[in-house]
Amino acid sequence: MKRWTVFKAVFVKNLIELRRYLFNLVTGLVTMYILFLLLFFGARAIGGAAVKVGDTLEGLVVGYLVWLFAIIAYQELAWSISTEAEIGTLEQLYLTPAGFGWVNGSFLVARFVTNLAVITLMLLAVLLTTGYRLNLDLASLLPLTVITILAPCGFGFLMGGLALVFKRIQNSFQILQFVFVVFLMVPVSEYVWARYLPLSLGNHLLRKVMVEGYRLWELPAGDLATAVGVGLAYLLLGVAAFGYCVNVARDRGLMGHY
Amino acid sequence: MQEPSTETERGKAGRRAFTMALHPSPPVLEIRGLTKTFPRRGKRPPVTAVDRVDLTLEAGEIVGLLGPNGAGKTTTIKCVLGLIRPTAGDIRVCGWDVRTHHHKAIEHASAVLEGARNVYWRMTPRENARFFAGLHGLDHRAHRSHIEELLERFGLTDRGDEPVINLSTGMKQKVAVVCALVKQTDLVFLDEPTLGLDIETSLELRGLLRELARKTRRTIVVSSHDMDVIQDVCERVVILKEGRVVADDRVDSLLALFRTRAYRMVLSDGLVGEVVERLARAVSGLSVTARGERTELEFELPAAERLYEVIDIIREGGAVIETITQKEPDLEEAFLRVINDTGSEGGAGA
Repeated sequence: MKRWTVFKAVFVKNLIELRRYLFNLVTGLVTMYILFLLLFFGARAIGGAAVKVGDTLEGLVVGYLVWLFAIIAYQELAWSISTEAEIGTLEQLYLTPAGFGWVNGSFLVARFVTNLAVITLMLLAVLLTTGYRLNLDLASLLPLTVITILAPCGFGFLMGGLALVFKRIQNSFQILQFVFVVFLMVPVSEYVWARYLPLSLGNHLLRKVMVEGYRLWELPAGDLATAVGVGLAYLLLGVAAFGYCVNVARDRGLMGHY
Repeated sequence: MQEPSTETERGKAGRRAFTMALHPSPPVLEIRGLTKTFPRRGKRPPVTAVDRVDLTLEAGEIVGLLGPNGAGKTTTIKCVLGLIRPTAGDIRVCGWDVRTHHHKAIEHASAVLEGARNVYWRMTPRENARFFAGLHGLDHRAHRSHIEELLERFGLTDRGDEPVINLSTGMKQKVAVVCALVKQTDLVFLDEPTLGLDIETSLELRGLLRELARKTRRTIVVSSHDMDVIQDVCERVVILKEGRVVADDRVDSLLALFRTRAYRMVLSDGLVGEVVERLARAVSGLSVTARGERTELEFELPAAERLYEVIDIIREGGAVIETITQKEPDLEEAFLRVINDTGSEGGAGA
């Protein structure tokens, strides 16, 4: 109950900040709208009549969303920790009976939900503007997306932990961004070991759903279990690394530094 | 300002009283042998910020934590809150070991650590108060009346829906204090609560803190460089120097210790050098100021009966004593005296 109250508090704060930083929200929405438009028109220009436009477009949209959520998951926690340290509120977030990890996990979930809502609205706006119709099996895609971004969330905790110790780590985001693209591109069906990389198997399963028309329950159970296991393993490793970094920061008295 | 009247607060006080009647409660804060050493880069020796500190605080105490820069005040506070991991020693908050049961211990402790920087300036005072209550696991809807009461007490009701960034420094500081108090913890740390405030706001905040400690039996620890604040608000003072406790006493006891020793005399004549030399040998801290025809002496005595010896020296020097007054020391003087009296190895000075 106490943890649920903490989650709600973090969620509401997230909404309030979105509203207060309205200009940032609006520019983010406009950027996303333009990106979606480019995605749609780009797909049409490249695919032309020879390609099944629906598959390409749906694949592109979901691929883009997975990549976007992956980036959000691993960047936002670190950004948030750096910002909280700068404005002087980070130490206060540690002073909660629910635990510092819970507060940061709640933050990640809150950001995921609000971003999902915002992105969905944008997507609908673009569909209305362009007249396109997407055939998305949300019942299969939503859980698979969540499973796929478990690993980036683990990286989010790792980066958040590093931000606690080193404060400014934004330059490493760019490297990770490319690494994630590689993870997304590795063909899982050709290399067995690639199933254990972050994002790779999840992305493979997402493509099966979108391109080959599989439903979630029609996917190989072993693949699904592996995807969940791999995602959870990276998440737990990230949380463990975060816990280790918190202790390093506490040992060195760095929690309030920026 | 009014008596804490919310049901939550009354219920909490009632439960606390009931528990105390059944079994004696553990101290609100118990520190034993707290030591914190920070390693340094290269081959430089580590820095000991806190060195074997022992401290016990009971319910309802309002304690001043004093010390020069680098004395270990903030490190001690942060160790209690779990923000810094101690090298050695035990810390218990309301009986909960901070090291092994941090989540339980922190249910009983809150803090304002960097004044107004502890709150979200883009959010309103009301939103901040609700968020920090929620962060402590208290549903703001169930504690609405307590939040509103605190905003009222601190004069923030009218500006409760305005972003904190638009408020004055004093009001920002009050919002930070409200956000610590909204958690309804037994132990509250206030690090430099009046820093940057004008005198009027500082006096107002001091009054609020005194009243709060008295009415809610919360234990409040005030760390400040402003001796007037400590003297005005606190009953007990703990002085740290180089990471060690060098004095731990009631404020009035500490002041009384110096009151009995410090004197000011006005003489109707001047004093010759030889008499001044004899006086300097008999007293400590002698200062001689010529004011026209008169001479003003200020000095301290190791014991009150030595005053007769001083009077004899002056009489033999041919001067006439016009007035003798016992100098009223303030906490700043007492603090400086304690700090100067204790060597670099620390040790109790008062």
